[in-house]
Amino acid sequence: MTVNAAWTHDANLLAAALSALTPFAAFALIMVFTRPHARVSAGISIAAVGVSLSSAVFLLVRNWSMQAPLQITGSWLISGDIHIPFGFLLDPLSLLMLTIVATISCLVQVYSLGYMAGDPGFSRYYAFQSLFAWAMLTLSISPTMIQLYIFWELVGLASYLLIGFWYEKFSASEAGKKAFVMTRLGDIAFFLGLLVVLIHFGNLNILDMNGPQAAARLSPALLTVSALLIFGGVMGKSAQFPLLTWLPDAMEGPTPVSALLHSATMVAAGVYMFARIFPFFSYSASAMTVFLSIGTITMLLSSTMAMVTRDIKQVWAYSTISQLGFMVMGLAAGGYAAGVFHLTTHAGFKALLFLCSGVFIHQYETNDMVVIGRQGGRGLRIPMACMTLAAAALSGLPPFSGFFSKEAIMGVLAGRHNPIWLAAGLLGAFLTAYYSFRLIFIILRPTQTEEVHAETHGGHGNGHHAAGLYWVMAWPLMILGAVTLVLGFFESSLVSFLVGPKAAAESVGGGHHAWLLYAAVGLALGGVALAWMEFGRKGSSQVGFVERLPALRALFANRWYLDHMYRHFLDYVIYGTFSNLFTRNDRRVIDGGIDGMCRAMIGSSRLLSFAQSGMLQYNLMVMFVALALVALGFYFLG
Amino acid sequence: MNSLTTYLFIAAALFIIGVFGLLQRRSLIGMLIAIELMLNAASVNFMAFNRFLAPDPVIGQVYALFIMGFAAAETAIALSIIIALFRWIHSINIEQARDLRG
Repeated sequence: MTVNAAWTHDANLLAAALSALTPFAAFALIMVFTRPHARVSAGISIAAVGVSLSSAVFLLVRNWSMQAPLQITGSWLISGDIHIPFGFLLDPLSLLMLTIVATISCLVQVYSLGYMAGDPGFSRYYAFQSLFAWAMLTLSISPTMIQLYIFWELVGLASYLLIGFWYEKFSASEAGKKAFVMTRLGDIAFFLGLLVVLIHFGNLNILDMNGPQAAARLSPALLTVSALLIFGGVMGKSAQFPLLTWLPDAMEGPTPVSALLHSATMVAAGVYMFARIFPFFSYSASAMTVFLSIGTITMLLSSTMAMVTRDIKQVWAYSTISQLGFMVMGLAAGGYAAGVFHLTTHAGFKALLFLCSGVFIHQYETNDMVVIGRQGGRGLRIPMACMTLAAAALSGLPPFSGFFSKEAIMGVLAGRHNPIWLAAGLLGAFLTAYYSFRLIFIILRPTQTEEVHAETHGGHGNGHHAAGLYWVMAWPLMILGAVTLVLGFFESSLVSFLVGPKAAAESVGGGHHAWLLYAAVGLALGGVALAWMEFGRKGSSQVGFVERLPALRALFANRWYLDHMYRHFLDYVIYGTFSNLFTRNDRRVIDGGIDGMCRAMIGSSRLLSFAQSGMLQYNLMVMFVALALVALGFYFLG
Repeated sequence: MNSLTTYLFIAAALFIIGVFGLLQRRSLIGMLIAIELMLNAASVNFMAFNRFLAPDPVIGQVYALFIMGFAAAETAIALSIIIALFRWIHSINIEQARDLRG
């Protein structure tokens, strides 16, 4: 039995190490050796992520019926009472996340073969993709918050590099910088929260933090403070309410990067961290209420922003923010399994949405959905079908995966005493359906199809040299489409894998109300119907109800003036007050002090130099007198 | 009177004349001569101590010889400095060479 156990242990360790470390090896190989050889680099990177994917699937299948979390660690840092291990923590949540990340990374990298073909930075792109995969995979299976934090920052770095991948473009490098700085703002709070826990609890092991001793050792006030601070990291990473404006700008990166960023890696990391220390967060009820309201605000705000933009990628970006807010709502309302399940399904259909948009953008070289529609976007059948399917999943229409996970979260929200959360959730569902199908109908049923030959010409021109590339991009779409179709039916088995069969039965039995199901689906269908009325039906004006109100439209299109507020805050508070004060301190006190010292030194030297007459004999005289005095001193005193 | 003290007095007198000359003369050649006087005072001291206190080893005389050699070398260097200075300011008066005054 023990031998068997040891072998299990080793195989798990081997697979975990393989899945986490191969992308890093690929990154190093590409950066050091194969940068001039684009094809070799892509091959290495895809092979590495393939190894990760197979190891992750192997681990998932092998540990499907695991009883207790498996933790394999080695000591990394020991200082006094503080002991920080490095290693792997394998439990249902981390295994699920590992598989999601590996799957999406693998599909995105295959897709990028087509999308990035011919780009001068092809090797660099794959190197960064590998770095990204490595950081995110290791983050998923971190056993301690310190390790999680380190890889959290690496994820931030990798996404900075990829968002600003086309760094020659000013807006792209600005967007990368914005993403980096805004997430870093949240990470400061995250790190402070970790320090609070470390100082008062003495341990950052995830299993220990989630265990009952955390609540016993920390006072309720400290628990709330540390939970709120740590949530700052989630706010930055998952683009929650005050820090949400970096995500739409992150669209400057290549579209596959957006797909990766929005589904499984960067922004999902925040929600994943929430789920990771979910029990720790739930010790503080007041913090959970704050999270719930932040999630709600985020969801509604970003839904409104998505209703007016014409940029196809920005619509999905806002929808990502809103769905992340929805996940945070679900988690904060206590629905651990519901939130994680929505994270899973969202990863699938959001990656699909972005990859489909990427095909359109690649084909028509524009992000504007109206232009794509006019140039005959619906002619691309596979992306169009997949995008409609994914949009239906996003809107929560049955029988797609999003329906099941949204219903689960709605069920959790319905369990709260205050009905406002449920109302907000239902409103969000309505808005989501509206803006998703607004986009679909604009592309599917354009009012006029000018430039038809431009389209056919473009189609032919691209079709000749890019037929192979088109299929390279289409295959990942179809795989993800299939996942989106069937994933919802695995809800009960996934939930029982996550929380154990007993708790799963309770959550499924307790949370469901028939009227809620009808209400949610009805509202989603209402959203679709409204979109049809305004954009889909024959002779429709293709002007949304929001766009008829200029003030509202300006408010939504300018992202509720959040960026303007940040700009003002930066200009007046940071630059105007703090920077100004510090600059003055620098100029007056520090520079002035040093200059003053120098001036005093020069002045005193000038005074002293009057003693130098330049006459040799005076110097000699002084020398003799001094020597004579020394001699006399020795004679009388010594 | 033919004792150690006599010689020490002579050496001291020589030395004091040298110091006085060094401080008083403004001509570099004069100062050089004064330094020679001081060196010779030291030689006289060495010879006197050798003669009256430790006659057997002739270390004192060896020292005197060394001082002569040293004085010759020093004179050569000093004269070359003086010549260089003369080329520059056309004078060997020390009062002319006051560029380092503050």
